[in-house]
Amino acid sequence: MPSIIIDGRTIQCREGIPVLRAALEAGMDIPHYCYHPGLSIVASCRLCLMEMKAPDPKTREPVWSPKLIPSCQTPVKDGMEVRFNSEGVWNNQQHVMEYYLLNHPLDCPVCDKAGECHLQDYTEDYGPATSRMVEEKHKNPKKDIGPNTLLYADRCVMCTRCVRFTREVSGDAQLAVVDRGNRAEIDVFPGEPLDNPLQGNVVDLCPVGALLDKGFLFKQRVWELRSRDSVCPGCARGCTTHIDYSETSGQIKRIRPRFNEKVNHWWMCDEGRFGWTHVHNRQRLSQPRLRDPGAERQLRWEELPALLTQRFGAAAKADRGTGTAVVLSPHLACEEAWLLAKFMRKIAPQATLVGGYLPVTGQDQKFPAGFVILSEKAPNRRGIERIITAAGGPQMRWDEFISAAGAGRFSAAYVTGGYPASWVSASAAAALARVGLLVMHDLFTSALTDAAAIVLPASTWAEREGCFVNVDGLVQAFERAIPPLEGVKTEGQFFAELAGESGLYRARKIREKMSAQLAEFGSPFVPAKEPAHAH
Amino acid sequence: MIRDEDLLILHPPELTAVERLYLPQILSGFRTTLRHMFNIKRRNRVVVQYPEQKRELRVSNYRGVHRLNKDPDGRIACVACFMCSTACPAHCIHIEAGESPWPDREKYPVKFDIDELRCIYCGMCEEACPCDAIELTPHYDIVGRTREEMIFDKEKLLDVFDRTKDAKPRKNPAVTDYGLTGGQDRSAGLPTAHPKL
Amino acid sequence: MIEALMDFGRWFLANQFTFSILMAAIVLLGPLINGCAICILAERKLSGYIQDRKGPNRVGPWGLLQPLADGIKFILKEDYTPGHVDRPTFILAPAIAFITALLGFVIVPWAGEIHWPWMEPGQTVSTQAASLDVGFLYVLAVGSLAVYGVVLAGWSSNNKYAFYGGMRATAQMLSYEVPLGLALLAMLLIGGSLRLEVLVAEQASTGLWWVAFQPIAFIMVLIASLAEANRAPFDLAECEQELIAGFHVEYGSMKFAMFPLGEYAHMMTSAAIMTAVFFGGWHVWGLTDPADTTLFGALLKFTVFWAKIAAFIGLFMLIRWTVPRFRYDQLMRVAWKSMVPMGLGLVIGNGLLVYMGWHKLLAANLAVNAAVFVLAVIVSAMAKAPVTGRQVYMPAVQVAPGGGRSAAPRA
Repeated sequence: MPSIIIDGRTIQCREGIPVLRAALEAGMDIPHYCYHPGLSIVASCRLCLMEMKAPDPKTREPVWSPKLIPSCQTPVKDGMEVRFNSEGVWNNQQHVMEYYLLNHPLDCPVCDKAGECHLQDYTEDYGPATSRMVEEKHKNPKKDIGPNTLLYADRCVMCTRCVRFTREVSGDAQLAVVDRGNRAEIDVFPGEPLDNPLQGNVVDLCPVGALLDKGFLFKQRVWELRSRDSVCPGCARGCTTHIDYSETSGQIKRIRPRFNEKVNHWWMCDEGRFGWTHVHNRQRLSQPRLRDPGAERQLRWEELPALLTQRFGAAAKADRGTGTAVVLSPHLACEEAWLLAKFMRKIAPQATLVGGYLPVTGQDQKFPAGFVILSEKAPNRRGIERIITAAGGPQMRWDEFISAAGAGRFSAAYVTGGYPASWVSASAAAALARVGLLVMHDLFTSALTDAAAIVLPASTWAEREGCFVNVDGLVQAFERAIPPLEGVKTEGQFFAELAGESGLYRARKIREKMSAQLAEFGSPFVPAKEPAHAH
Repeated sequence: MIRDEDLLILHPPELTAVERLYLPQILSGFRTTLRHMFNIKRRNRVVVQYPEQKRELRVSNYRGVHRLNKDPDGRIACVACFMCSTACPAHCIHIEAGESPWPDREKYPVKFDIDELRCIYCGMCEEACPCDAIELTPHYDIVGRTREEMIFDKEKLLDVFDRTKDAKPRKNPAVTDYGLTGGQDRSAGLPTAHPKL
Repeated sequence: MIEALMDFGRWFLANQFTFSILMAAIVLLGPLINGCAICILAERKLSGYIQDRKGPNRVGPWGLLQPLADGIKFILKEDYTPGHVDRPTFILAPAIAFITALLGFVIVPWAGEIHWPWMEPGQTVSTQAASLDVGFLYVLAVGSLAVYGVVLAGWSSNNKYAFYGGMRATAQMLSYEVPLGLALLAMLLIGGSLRLEVLVAEQASTGLWWVAFQPIAFIMVLIASLAEANRAPFDLAECEQELIAGFHVEYGSMKFAMFPLGEYAHMMTSAAIMTAVFFGGWHVWGLTDPADTTLFGALLKFTVFWAKIAAFIGLFMLIRWTVPRFRYDQLMRVAWKSMVPMGLGLVIGNGLLVYMGWHKLLAANLAVNAAVFVLAVIVSAMAKAPVTGRQVYMPAVQVAPGGGRSAAPRA
């Protein structure tokens, strides 16, 4: 482990990282634009320059080098001594910042990046208070470079993070630098819009407000957003995310990737990034309903535990539950699935546990830097399987369950859904129509909710808390971001009440109980924290 | 930490025996109240019969009802930057931003509501506004029959500007083109020392 | 037919029972109920003048129709009862507050006796609605019922501020019953009767009002009356600064109006009692003749009596807008540590006078008062209690402005 001296402070750092990274990991704030730990190093922004001690060619005495050296490009070496707190470094930072602002339109009031903009932060911390620019500013009109992204070229600082991203991570090199010098700007190739499945990351990558997301444009100032740690439910990969939501309206405003060294690093795909619109879909179910013929009515959540216990108890009385099935959707969190299975096995000890329908679309997509989008479009198949295995007793796969239900084996079934899009096939609907007591817990109406005796509204992952097990068996917890839709009780709370748990549902409490049987749930994986100001 | 030597201990004055009786003090209180009661001259001078008579404003920057300024082309000057709603301590400003229909401007407020009942007229919005689009006028006698009526929307606030622009012109010229702001006179130049030095 | 009606009228006026009913009705409907409304206007005007304002001046000439507008407003307002209150008690409380304040009025000797021309010579009817043997003990008894109005209002509102107000009112009114009773007891010893009409007649016959005999007793009754009526400076039950409005915070419309009306009625009752006991009732030197039993003489006496009441009400209002509110501990101290001992001293002194047979002598009475006063001054001068009235001496502390060196350096 090399040990280097920065500003007189001795720092133990990892092998092979640049000095800039070492300084950042030591908690220092070093301004930089072009350096990003997930991209190649170009040392073009000239903001992270430092002074280094090197032997004088004549006297062999170590002296401070007269020239500034980019810290992002200099790997750490044991015993090296560098400094950022010298006048030369400060002057450089100040002049480079003034240079960056020469043509900058200073339109922070209308720029969506304002509040999380590195240009603002660094100007505040390192830049000059005024500009000496007296000529007319060079103006670049904003450009529509793709279906989801806008480019405001006059705000750009030419760090080329986005260009390197499309070359190195998404691999299709859709962005490039055109022109030179003062006129250099980022652009797409004619007729080739920025439309790769990872393109949303360039908006996060951009340290200034040059690349902006069309969907989030003008929606909310970033300082009014609240953020929660979550896990993407889009596929079995389980990328960790931040859900940024508005506290006043209780609505998700955007989703950003959260660094995760084991899964997605700094990135996420557009499918997950924009895959939250169903959360605020007005078609969502919002009331539990009893659909007894002739006695259809709304149910209150308070009467449901007794009603479900009574109905399933009656159905399982004769056969100890062999005719009862619980379908655990791969959109359920592990805690919720565990609570529901526990409740059902208490009433009907021989109830069949069924792994829910697993949507699969297309092929896995692999990208040069190792990023993967899986074809399995549900977050928690592994977790449901583990819980079913641990519970023992009769169990089935979804297709087995459909054929068995079609053959009339089941008289009662509790089916959970929670899929963002319609998922019910005609065969499944036909088969489940034969189940006498069908409880449907889903987000939207479908053929199954039409056939069900009791319909319960589900909530989305952003409204719940719990953990998902991803394709590699990694247990990852996610937090609740927004309050559930009015009239909806979250699955966790409802299943906890069914299972006889008291008080407010907290996923952590349930995980502790689960860990007696399934030890891996005791400590979900928590990704390493990226240092502040890291990118 | 407050040290003992920084403390000044004030002892209440000792009362005399007459003061302890309390009744003489009450009588001197009566003298004060009666003096005011029979001072008709002063009363007539001080009292303003409000709706008929109005007091002249002693300060020109009195903080009354808001207005949204228009630029010389008659368009709303606001660029929907949310600075006022961020600065507002009463959370009475609600803005919905949208893409502006004009080529020289990026963003403009689709909705701009101020709850005049919730507002505390502190003037922070005026301070925060980067383009002097929101200003407080000296008009304080705004009334309404419902709470909804007292939530002033964009049109109403622009209308306040039309009514008050002659009496109180807009402070600064409109800043509509951010691209030109860099060319303004900034003779101060760079500070020689780094702010951290 | 007309003759029969006239006969009935004569009988009605000459019969003490029916005449009492008439008097009660006249007094209640006329000056008392209207008086409350007029008092509210007067108070608003007076407070306005004291504070260099003009008071209500919009409704009618000089705002004279303001009470009417207020009354219409109170009646037309939605009579809202909050959902969390104890409904029967909540409705009962304002009624109690108002009615108990009115009840004291029946024993007030408004205008002595009236002799109608058609009556037997020597026969008269009394303008007093009820001539009770227990006299002003009845006033004390009924007046102390008023605390129920306040306490029940505070309790049934199911609101902590209202409850605090009710609690304070209970303790305050119970405390001030004691000095009030002691002071009136002292007067009972001097007067030798509980009947107000006897007391008034005696003052009228000697031409000396008893405020000259017993000034200390008068001041005690005055203070206790303010406290009993929950008037400033004793309005701790409803002080706006601490308890928003205290016991009547949950009330609205006419139910709320009952409380201020009750307060003014209470003030008028107290003023009437004080007028009768200390200020000779209807007696004014040279104006009213005790022997005059004509209708004109009675009306004159009635007017004099009400003029005295009006003067007291004016004094009460002046006190309200002049004297700041007591702190609660001060309130209790005034009652228990000053007024009760002084009242006891008066009772003992007057008892001695009666024993010696000097109780009709002005000089002897004044001597007793002077003795009690001097004793009180001596005791209060000897008392070591700090003037702030705090039980624990806590000197005011102020950080010296610009007090030299800076505070301790931050860690």
